[in-house]
Amino acid sequence: MFLECRNLGYRYPRSSEFVFQDISLQLNTPGFHALFGPSGVGKTSFAKLLTGDIKGYTGEILKKENAIFLYTYNQERLPGWSSIGRHLNKITPPGMADLCQELVETFGLDPFMNQKFSQLSLGQQNRINLIRYLLQDFDLLVMDESLANVDERSKENIIFKIKERFPDKYFLYISHNLMEVSKFSDMILVLLKAGKQPQTSLIKGLNIHRNDVINSQELDAVLLGIMNAC
Amino acid sequence: MLVRRISQFFIVYGAGIGFLLALKSILGLSDYVIPGPLDIWTTSLAVVNDYLYDVLNTLGVAMIGQILSIIMAFSIGTAARKSSWIGSFIKAAAYNIQAYPIVAVAPIIFILLGDGFASRLIIAAMICYFPLLLSVVSIMSEPITDIEHFYLATGRMRWQLEIKIRAFENIRKLTTVISGSATLAMAGTIVAEFIAANAGIGHAIRIALYQSDLSKILAALFLIGIFLSLYQGTLEWMGEKIIKKWVILDPEEIP
Repeated sequence: MFLECRNLGYRYPRSSEFVFQDISLQLNTPGFHALFGPSGVGKTSFAKLLTGDIKGYTGEILKKENAIFLYTYNQERLPGWSSIGRHLNKITPPGMADLCQELVETFGLDPFMNQKFSQLSLGQQNRINLIRYLLQDFDLLVMDESLANVDERSKENIIFKIKERFPDKYFLYISHNLMEVSKFSDMILVLLKAGKQPQTSLIKGLNIHRNDVINSQELDAVLLGIMNAC
Repeated sequence: MLVRRISQFFIVYGAGIGFLLALKSILGLSDYVIPGPLDIWTTSLAVVNDYLYDVLNTLGVAMIGQILSIIMAFSIGTAARKSSWIGSFIKAAAYNIQAYPIVAVAPIIFILLGDGFASRLIIAAMICYFPLLLSVVSIMSEPITDIEHFYLATGRMRWQLEIKIRAFENIRKLTTVISGSATLAMAGTIVAEFIAANAGIGHAIRIALYQSDLSKILAALFLIGIFLSLYQGTLEWMGEKIIKKWVILDPEEIP
């Protein structure tokens, strides 16, 4: 067992209403998974509960012993006093310099290593932020809108690279983009508004890899499945 | 910036003198109450050398007092940034103590330490310290979640890094607070000299007050204003230098 949630529920502090309730699920296969749902259903809260960034939930969260869960989101910033290259050098664990360079090149950030974070575009900022998390020791990485403001081609390239380079890791990708979630994800956890029963739906995505050809009928089926679940 | 500050002071000082002379003219006040322009000028020339020394003496005490209060405020303020018991205690104590008028405590300091340098310095530092402390506590206890999250999540956060992040993100506020506290330090020193000191421009003003010599007081105010403007302008200039060196901003953000 890698991750299991039993009857998980969460209320914002000083609120009597549940954001979500009775969520039960198991995650036992590494890969690129997604968390999908309309705004306000508690995707971020759910992800933060898994990573321990917030507490105060009902139910149970069971994790594999010593598993490291990290949460990253698209508005994170790097300190502004040094260049992003220098920052990456500082936070890259020993022996990971090659991976760092590889990711920097794949993510299209090589020409910007001497620049400061505030001098980058939003998409570049999100990419550099994601790189530094990928360089850390983790078992599950929650990517909350981590590729927002990144163009489609780069986004696709980045996701394929993540799949190739980290086949044994778990990823939980939060996005509002129905198409990318359907195409790239293995399992899609659709979170529904409080009060709906069941409150979650688990849908199998296409989980495409580089050079895979998309079967449009299968894609339509996944899209339809998600839309019906919502 | 320095030129702007001094020219602003000239305008304010000129307006003040103009107001006094207008009052004198409208109410028909005697030269004993408000002296004429010529008297102000000749008295100023007569006392300028002595007062220059006095102002520099006061400014020296104020600068040392300000440096002491900055060191204390940053030391205590960074310790109080945590939401721990000790942090809450320091914050509560700072808020309560700063509400008490330091000037009222000044006589005790003079009784214990006499009317020399130490008393002026302590009063200047105390008057400057508490507002500075409250600003530092408020800035340092506000997390910069967008930056700090990574370090917290990956177990890399150290207290030095936390302070560096918060100081960096609030560098403009901090430099403004520090340059603004120069006025408090100067005011504190002058207040101390009013009460019981044996030197400084406050002491000279007190003597002029006993002599009911408004010309001397106006001359003293002119020199205080000029040197305070110079000092504050220098602090602001240093602040801008630090910001430009440490924080690389977008070109349009650089003033």
